[in-house]
Amino acid sequence: MPRTKVLLIDDEAEFAAALAERLQLRNYDATAVFCADDAFSAFLKNPPDVVLLDLKMPGMDGTEVLKTLKLYDPSVEVIILTGLGAEQSGNEGIKRGAFDYVVKPVDIDDLTVKIDQARKKKDKE
Amino acid sequence: MHKIIHYVKDLLVFRPCDTFSYSGKARDRRLRIRLILMIAPLSLFPLFIVITVSYFWLQNILKEDFQNQLRWDLENTKNSIEFFVDVKLSALRFLASGHRYEQLSNQKTLVNVFTAFKQEFGQVVDLGLIDAEGIQQSYAGPYNLKGRDYSSQEWFHKAVARGVYVSDVFMGYRKVPHFAIAVKKEVPEEGNFWIIRATINMEALNSFVSSINLNKDDDAFIINESGVLQTPSRFYGHVLEKYLLQNTLNQRGVSVLNTKQANGKPAMFGYAYIKDSPWILCAIIKSRPDTKIARLFQGEFFAILMGSLLFVILVAMRMAQVMVNWIKDCDQKREAALSEAEHTSKLASVGRLAAGVAHEINNPLAIINENAGLMKDLLAVSGDMPNKEKFLTSINGILESIRRSRTITHRLLGFARRMDASPELLNVNEVVKEVLGFLDKEVAFRDIRLTQNLREDLPKIKSNQGRLQQVFLNIINNAIDAVESGGVIEISTGVKDENTVRVIISDNGPGISKGILKHIFEPFFTTKEKEKGTGLGLFISYGIIKQLGGNILVESEVNKGTVFTIELPLISDAG
Repeated sequence: MPRTKVLLIDDEAEFAAALAERLQLRNYDATAVFCADDAFSAFLKNPPDVVLLDLKMPGMDGTEVLKTLKLYDPSVEVIILTGLGAEQSGNEGIKRGAFDYVVKPVDIDDLTVKIDQARKKKDKE
Repeated sequence: MHKIIHYVKDLLVFRPCDTFSYSGKARDRRLRIRLILMIAPLSLFPLFIVITVSYFWLQNILKEDFQNQLRWDLENTKNSIEFFVDVKLSALRFLASGHRYEQLSNQKTLVNVFTAFKQEFGQVVDLGLIDAEGIQQSYAGPYNLKGRDYSSQEWFHKAVARGVYVSDVFMGYRKVPHFAIAVKKEVPEEGNFWIIRATINMEALNSFVSSINLNKDDDAFIINESGVLQTPSRFYGHVLEKYLLQNTLNQRGVSVLNTKQANGKPAMFGYAYIKDSPWILCAIIKSRPDTKIARLFQGEFFAILMGSLLFVILVAMRMAQVMVNWIKDCDQKREAALSEAEHTSKLASVGRLAAGVAHEINNPLAIINENAGLMKDLLAVSGDMPNKEKFLTSINGILESIRRSRTITHRLLGFARRMDASPELLNVNEVVKEVLGFLDKEVAFRDIRLTQNLREDLPKIKSNQGRLQQVFLNIINNAIDAVESGGVIEISTGVKDENTVRVIISDNGPGISKGILKHIFEPFFTTKEKEKGTGLGLFISYGIIKQLGGNILVESEVNKGTVFTIELPLISDAG
């Protein structure tokens, strides 16, 4: 099975970069982008299997990004990154087609399990 | 006096500014006095009317009764005197019809008759036989009056004209007041007549007069038609002195008139003409019947009045007290409600603040987490290097701290979010555990042993988690404050019945005395120092539990400890 392609979209650059690197260390093809515009070009250039998406971003909101990505490629699986105490928005994301959500600060093992599940689901479809 | 009136006026006028210018005890006192001043006259006014009306009513009755009594006395006495005179006249008539002139003109016979007569009737002074010429032919009595000529005297002519005669009282030869009665005996066959005459002591009359019931200011006596006293009087002179009649007496029978005394005070004048005699029986009553009323009023009436007065005042005072207490109570409740609202809004502010802080801390925390995680990952893939173990230990330390910070921010957020949440299905054990999480540090610091005895299969309840936490936090906090270092607090959960779960929080602190125990759920009641307690904690807790449809019970024993039991319904009516 080829490496899972993960696109990480979060305006907190330091967080996104570090997390992307950790995922790479765990043998994921992870790319981090820090705004919605970069996200779309990265998405088109190299379509990912799983997207990690922060809902709270300046400019285009995470929810809009989710809607647009799902329109473009309904098969892409999205895992929402939410802040503490914002589980509600995670649940709303799932309603809009996201695979699941994780709460920041994230537990890396927990996250990788969810990425693998999402990948499996995508492959099945 | 002016000051008092001004003060009372001031009390009776309500002004809106009073609310601000008076407060607390001063206001309560003014309010109480106002209420008494309004309630008491309301009840006393009818009482005074009743008493005044009954006073005059009684006065009238007494006066009338008094007049009737006098009328009755006069009537009785008049009848007695008439009877007395009648009996004497009858005796004389009998004597005259039973004897012939010749018999009675015999001195010896007359003396015998007189002796019998005197024996029978007493009070008779003498007896005499007078012929048609007015000469006393024979005489029986203490004086030597035989042969005396009465032909020129008025009484003789009247007796001749009328046949029967009763005289005024006169002194006569003996200088003792007396009166005479005479009966004329006709001798038709001879064309002649004679008269038999007896004199009687005035004392006989006087004894009838003095039988009238009199007070010391009153007087009763007999006068003749020209106003000459026939019996002695107390205030109007001796026998045969002239009494000045103020009224003209033109009535027969018994009369009672209202008159005035010389000094202007009211008096009663009663009189009765005595039949077949020149006499008028008189009574002057100066004693006032209404003086009796005063005595009546001084006695029982006064006692009743005073009793009623006291009762009314007591009732008014009690009513005023009840109303003031009621107002006080309302004030306190309002104040408590305001304070509770303030407290709740304060809690909500704290919640919002906590949420803000948690959010702000969370992002840097995530960054630290990822970077530390990355460092750990990199160390894991890199080969041996100096101090590798030390780096790993440090990174683990950072990661552990992040986990702890995460827990704290999570709790803060949970607390903030639940403050105004709607009812949800809860496991009470979880709620208790979360509250204890907040208190871990303090419990450890104070070296308090906190035991949990939570029933595992506790049914879930539908309630408001934030509010329940507030109550548990409050009561457990109180327990922590109460126990000394090394004390024991036990928290247990259980089931009371199929619809109610129960949380019991007990401590082995100093306990609460009975006097204090009954006040602990009252607002602003605190035994803590001013800075530490608002006196609202248990009041608010009580309110919350009642609102959630539950119940708080407390038992305590001094030096043994305190047990709070919180009962919660499985489904609460209110959020």
